[in-house]
Amino acid sequence: MSIRDLLWQLPSVGMAWRNLGRSRVRTALATLGIIIGVVAIASLGMAGVAIQQQATSNLGGIADEVTIRSGTDSTTDGVTQEQVDRIRDVAGDATVIPEKTNSTTLTARDGSERFVSVTGLTRASTLYEVSSGDNPDRLRSGALLTNSTARQLGLEIGDPVEYDGQLYRIRGLIESGGGGFGGGSELVLPLSALRDQNYYDSVTIVASDGDEAQRISDAVETRFNEGDEEILSVTSFASIQENVGSFLDTLNLALLGIGSISLIVASVAILNVMLMSTIERRGEIGVLRAVGIRRGEVLRMILAEAAFLGIIGGFVGAALSLGVGLVAFEVLAGDATLVFGWASVRYLLLGFGFAVVASLLSGLYPAWKAANDPPVEALRS
Amino acid sequence: MSVIELTDVVKRYQNGEEVIAALDHVDFQADRGEMVTIIGPSGSGKSTMLNMIGLLDTPTAGTVHLDGRNVTDFSEDELTEERRSGIGFVFQDFHLLPMLTATENVELPSMWDTSVDRHDRAEDLLQRVGLGDRLDHTPDQLSGGQRQRVAIARALINEPDILLADEPTGNLDQDTGATILDELTRLKEEEDIAIVAVTHDEQLVEYADREVNLVDGEIGE
Repeated sequence: MSIRDLLWQLPSVGMAWRNLGRSRVRTALATLGIIIGVVAIASLGMAGVAIQQQATSNLGGIADEVTIRSGTDSTTDGVTQEQVDRIRDVAGDATVIPEKTNSTTLTARDGSERFVSVTGLTRASTLYEVSSGDNPDRLRSGALLTNSTARQLGLEIGDPVEYDGQLYRIRGLIESGGGGFGGGSELVLPLSALRDQNYYDSVTIVASDGDEAQRISDAVETRFNEGDEEILSVTSFASIQENVGSFLDTLNLALLGIGSISLIVASVAILNVMLMSTIERRGEIGVLRAVGIRRGEVLRMILAEAAFLGIIGGFVGAALSLGVGLVAFEVLAGDATLVFGWASVRYLLLGFGFAVVASLLSGLYPAWKAANDPPVEALRS
Repeated sequence: MSVIELTDVVKRYQNGEEVIAALDHVDFQADRGEMVTIIGPSGSGKSTMLNMIGLLDTPTAGTVHLDGRNVTDFSEDELTEERRSGIGFVFQDFHLLPMLTATENVELPSMWDTSVDRHDRAEDLLQRVGLGDRLDHTPDQLSGGQRQRVAIARALINEPDILLADEPTGNLDQDTGATILDELTRLKEEEDIAIVAVTHDEQLVEYADREVNLVDGEIGE
């Protein structure tokens, strides 16, 4: 059985296909309108997804971190070891890194001085990335120093720095501002170097993702702070990610809105085309009705014409949008293949579905009008 | 029993303030195997009468019987079913669909009936009107006479009881018209159908078994 025979199994569809073939230019123009609408919706939607993914990957680890400091109602000037232990209970599998901070002045060989903040912790590798040298999982001896500070002081890996009367050998150089809030010039030492300080200045918890970070942050809050009391001050960046996410959702919605307008314009164009073509064929439809073609059959035939416009336009539009999406993901997210993810593919389906639905809606009135035209009137025209 | 019967049919149109009686108490019937022509000057109500007989229009007063059944108060959908199963139409300007082949045009009235395949009957009818070698031609590849023969074949596809023709020779030259009328006469006997034709054409009247004269919506003698 050929495709043609198959098409005629559904006479409305077969007739519709032939009718569209009669005025190819008009059909092509109507389809072009739909294509533009679909491309507008689908590619703007996919660009939105690309922006979102790029933003999320830029925010990266920050959103997974929770920082805990001593609160205003605390009786101690810092976080106690006992509190850290309890935080570990709450945090579960997340990495808990207690830190002590101070500041000192480093002196170079030529006598120039540099003011640096000092951070004492054990799990250096979790919070800092070294650009050169060594970054031990557990920092027991030696030191990490900000790259730029090392350069200004003429220090290299292996050189000693002095803190509190003790010498520490530089094991690795870290990027300025990399991880935590060191910023500027930072010297990272083992916790033991700051053993004179009884309390921890901050506790950083690194969770597996933003949601987990939010959960831990809430749990610590309820465990330590009763009512308005603030024993521990908890800062979580998961909420920042949420805010950025909801902003991007709004942006996406606005982009989709712009896309929908073009599809609405396209469906008005289809309404016009269908109306013109049914008015032109009024006598012909009258003949169909006279020879006993039912109203519902005429209706289906014209709806099928509209559906064809929507399906063809939607398909071509979705194919073009996929191309636009590939480019958008390559440029914005740096990986063109991400376009095949569900988050962006669903906009292709959305665009296609919208095109078919909008076309059918536009075909409804012309189809109804043609089907209910009294055959006597139609034949006279 | 008459296959179609109009009894005391009145059809009035509202034209602005004025009410026009297109048909004024008309009685008419036609039997199988006869060809009746309806003649009269233009505006005499010929087309209105043909529309009544073809169940395309409903009377203001009076009754219409099709094969003995009263169809006067049928709904549009019921009338469509009657036209689909029992009536064939031939129009003056053929009214073939340009994107369909001759065979497809003939199949058209039964195309939506997926239960029956009329393809063979369509080809057979085209053979019988002498278009066996034009089955896959589209209307623009056919002459006027050939188009009208396709239209006649289309009117017969549903094995109707009545064939209605509105000026079937109106757009054809004398010779072609004569061929078409020979064709109709032959089919009338072969298929045992009633043919009702509206015409100005004297030639057509000669072929008719009977003629009805319509003047100002009334049947004259």
